[in-house]
Amino acid sequence: MIEVKNVTKKYGNFTAVDCISFTVKDGEIVGLLGPNGAGKSTTMNMLTGFIEPTEGTINVNGYDIMKKTKKAKKQIGYMPENVPLYMELTVKEFVSYMAELKLVQRAKRKEEVQNVLKETGLEEVQNKLIRNLSRGYKQRVSMAGALVGNPEVLILDEPTVGLDPKQIIEIRNLVKKLGKKHTVILSSHILSEISQICERVIILNKGKIVAIDTPQTLEEKTKEKNILLLTVEDKEEKMSYLQNKIKDIQKLEMIKDNEDGTKQYQIISDREIDLRKTLFEVLPKEGITIFELKKAETTLEDAFIKLVNQTEKKEEKKTKKGGKK
Amino acid sequence: MWAIIKKEFKSYFLSPIGYVVVGILLLVFSIFFYLTSVQVGSVDLSSLYYYVALYGLIIAAPILTMRMFAEERKNGTEQLILTAPISITKVVFGKLIAALGVIVITLLLSFGYYAIVCFFAKTSVIPILTSMLGFLLISTAAISVGMLASSITENQIIAAIITIAFLIMSIFLENINELLANLSIINFYEKFPSGVISFTEVAGLISFSIVFIGLTIIVMQRRKISH
Repeated sequence: MIEVKNVTKKYGNFTAVDCISFTVKDGEIVGLLGPNGAGKSTTMNMLTGFIEPTEGTINVNGYDIMKKTKKAKKQIGYMPENVPLYMELTVKEFVSYMAELKLVQRAKRKEEVQNVLKETGLEEVQNKLIRNLSRGYKQRVSMAGALVGNPEVLILDEPTVGLDPKQIIEIRNLVKKLGKKHTVILSSHILSEISQICERVIILNKGKIVAIDTPQTLEEKTKEKNILLLTVEDKEEKMSYLQNKIKDIQKLEMIKDNEDGTKQYQIISDREIDLRKTLFEVLPKEGITIFELKKAETTLEDAFIKLVNQTEKKEEKKTKKGGKK
Repeated sequence: MWAIIKKEFKSYFLSPIGYVVVGILLLVFSIFFYLTSVQVGSVDLSSLYYYVALYGLIIAAPILTMRMFAEERKNGTEQLILTAPISITKVVFGKLIAALGVIVITLLLSFGYYAIVCFFAKTSVIPILTSMLGFLLISTAAISVGMLASSITENQIIAAIITIAFLIMSIFLENINELLANLSIINFYEKFPSGVISFTEVAGLISFSIVFIGLTIIVMQRRKISH
């Protein structure tokens, strides 16, 4: 369990992280999300004890990271951003070094290192120099360094950056698997990734927490309109009159004219109104054949952009008001 | 701490740095062995160690220390050691001991010069042993200076230049003021080569090292706040 209370980090006059509080329960996978410079890495660096917060407290499994540093750090496996590694070591040497640093007992060390190498799929390259590995493998070595010693909390800073799609899926599955045994906090700016892996999302912007919720609720909450995508065959060109027939349609727009004679429309209605049933009833009567009807999913991406924009607008207003005074 | 020592020592010899330092020191040894023994036909090795401590360390110490913290900071690997459950003091001492390991290797190899001298005349081993002990202490002092330099920058070249500049300048400081002579570590290496372990010299070198090691630890701890 991780408890962050009123944590602030200032660099001179610049506030990188502004009074954030959140808790992460045991066995939870939580995503830290935010645009560049939102304070994700700073937050993670504070969680791992790499930098000290200006104000506030951080507890990891009950140990204060500033007072019981050693015990708190022992609970954490950290994979820093940009995968820093010792290029002159082999994969095995690096992982054993990390095991020693994390105080894994000598008798268990070999076994532990082999287990981690197996888990991260590095067994075949264990005797290769890290220098000669591809980016994807380096990422895994860094992950192995975080995993070794079986820490209860894993903190992964952008674990999939710079990987190809296949590797991304592999790492993603690995994180999911790890989430069963460990508490995981990961940061990313790939939203689909977060919504797939994480149970909860913390959205940061300009050092502040904008929202904490499950990806589903966030998507739901920030949804303003109901958007339907409708593909029809409309020989008599009756679609344009549809708005007169169904009053609830706010906007009707053709978005694609397919080669097979069908057309795709976007239908926007109010948030609470689901037009799907009405459409199925009305259109056949008008001689329009429905080929496809689906809901356009609002994604975490939309939610994210909206939340970030909202806070920025609020701030603008504040500064404007302040300016007038 | 053992983990740090082992890894750092191994890294010295995985990169050419370890070999370069041993090589340079042995080269300086050989030059002064020729000048102080071979050329003048002397079997007295006391000045040999003195000259190597004076000139050899000015080159060896910066090479040994420049990457210590600067490289870790630049590559971001300092995040790995500073987030591990190990204190900064242990990290600093671990790195220091690993660097001293390279010096120890050189010193062991320098027994070769003693062997050559023994071939010609019977000489006591005691001055050699005290010279080596003193050499280890003066190396510790020089390395602590380098460590501090390496901890305040992420540029290895700058770290090396600061160390060289300090070591060279400290030699001439006594010409400016008698008090400043205490900043020159070579002044604490005058009795060791003649077989005497002087308390002043041992205490001087140790306290000099402690100051610089302490400053290094403080700099590294401050990084947590001002990073």
